[in-house]
Amino acid sequence: ENISDFSLNITDCTQVVVPEEVFFTVAAAGILENLLILIAVVRNKNLHLPMYFFICSLAISDMLGSLYKTLENIFIILCKMGYLTRHGDFEKKLDDAMDSMFILSLLGSIFSLLAIAADRYITIFYALRYHNIMTLRRALVILAIIWTFCAGSSIAIALFSYEAATVIPFTILFPLMMFFILCLYVHMFLLARSHAKKIASLPSSTVQHRTNMKGAITLTIFLGVFLCCWAPFVLHILLARFCPHNPYCACYMSIFHVNGTLLMCNAIINPMIFAFRSPELRSTFKKMFYCSK
Amino acid sequence: MSALRLISNRTSQQSLSNSDYTWDYEYYEYGPVSFEGLKAHKYSIVIGFWVGLAVFVIFMFFVLTLLTKTGAPHQDNAELSEKRFRMNSFVADFGRPLESERVFSHQMTEESQSLFHFCINEVDHMNKEKESQKGPSLESSTHFQEVPKSSGMFEEDLHCLAKFNIPNFVNTEQNSSLGEDDLLISEPPILL
Repeated sequence: ENISDFSLNITDCTQVVVPEEVFFTVAAAGILENLLILIAVVRNKNLHLPMYFFICSLAISDMLGSLYKTLENIFIILCKMGYLTRHGDFEKKLDDAMDSMFILSLLGSIFSLLAIAADRYITIFYALRYHNIMTLRRALVILAIIWTFCAGSSIAIALFSYEAATVIPFTILFPLMMFFILCLYVHMFLLARSHAKKIASLPSSTVQHRTNMKGAITLTIFLGVFLCCWAPFVLHILLARFCPHNPYCACYMSIFHVNGTLLMCNAIINPMIFAFRSPELRSTFKKMFYCSK
Repeated sequence: MSALRLISNRTSQQSLSNSDYTWDYEYYEYGPVSFEGLKAHKYSIVIGFWVGLAVFVIFMFFVLTLLTKTGAPHQDNAELSEKRFRMNSFVADFGRPLESERVFSHQMTEESQSLFHFCINEVDHMNKEKESQKGPSLESSTHFQEVPKSSGMFEEDLHCLAKFNIPNFVNTEQNSSLGEDDLLISEPPILL
């Protein structure tokens, strides 16, 4: 890694190095997995539903995140090998483009998760009117708005990333959206609980009173994975902005590569907890693989 | 050429708060950091952050588990039968045959689960509209039935709506062996 070339005097907290093979493997796996989901949704007409479009949007943002990391690594290797100068204008533009790709990926992930949660919420609470509320056209319009907004803000943030004013809203947005998504799911949970109560109270039912653990586990996995994969990186950005000279902050920033690898792991895990839960998508995959053999 | 480079260097330095731009993680462009006289462990932020995150996730899990705990039923019987009647009349509105003799199967299809949710939701919301006495009066408890594949009228809608994949507190898998925690509607089946 290039870190040894720095004129840093961090003698005690050396960079934690992740081998490049691990980096590239994780990134490639993330890109491939999400690409498969996109292909499956495009090919199967049954999957042309708003719900799957939102899952595709999540897959695209995961792919962008992994792509960003891969490209960055490639460029760092090229720099090490001397093909790229480290002070060039072209490289600066490239770096800005890559930063905006990363922020686009983060914002896209957050908004896609929000869209998926909102879609499920409407499905449960406005079930009969769902078809009128969430038409295919509206879903596409929503996705277009989301991605335009994300693209615009990512470019703006990348250009003005040295101002504190852009870092703060960026890092406030992250917990805010998480909290909102959590509220949506908690409300759905409360409805599920009232359903269970109603069934339990039917005189001819012999239902036992117990907790429904699977829902709690599923939701904890949803949000826990997102938190654990993105929060370290966001904290890194915060610390780099506000306390770069503090030794504690510097030690946290020394595990930057581990945080980056976690980001790419998120791209691998997200399809498993969103896309692969759908039986229709799984059967499409099976058909794709068996047909190709 | 060199003038251009000077300009570009200057602008990049203007925009940067620290040393001149290099192709790398700018976060590490800072000057030497001294590690003298640290009171706490040097990785304290790392440890504190991960411990805090783990505690938060576990706390969230416990809160969600508490939320999904089914409590003891304490509803009024009259209120119950009224709700059941509305639910039945609502079900009847969609023109599907109401067979009170059908046993509620352990393996609910996605469609009937969705319909169940529709019924529960919409009954609560459409109190005024469903006062008309449609459908046969069913004094017995509510029945849930599998949507026959040939039901026609509502089937397409149900198919589409049933493809949603909400968190697994509603199990939408058709052929899975339903474990204890999978269903809202638990075993044994409701016999009519």
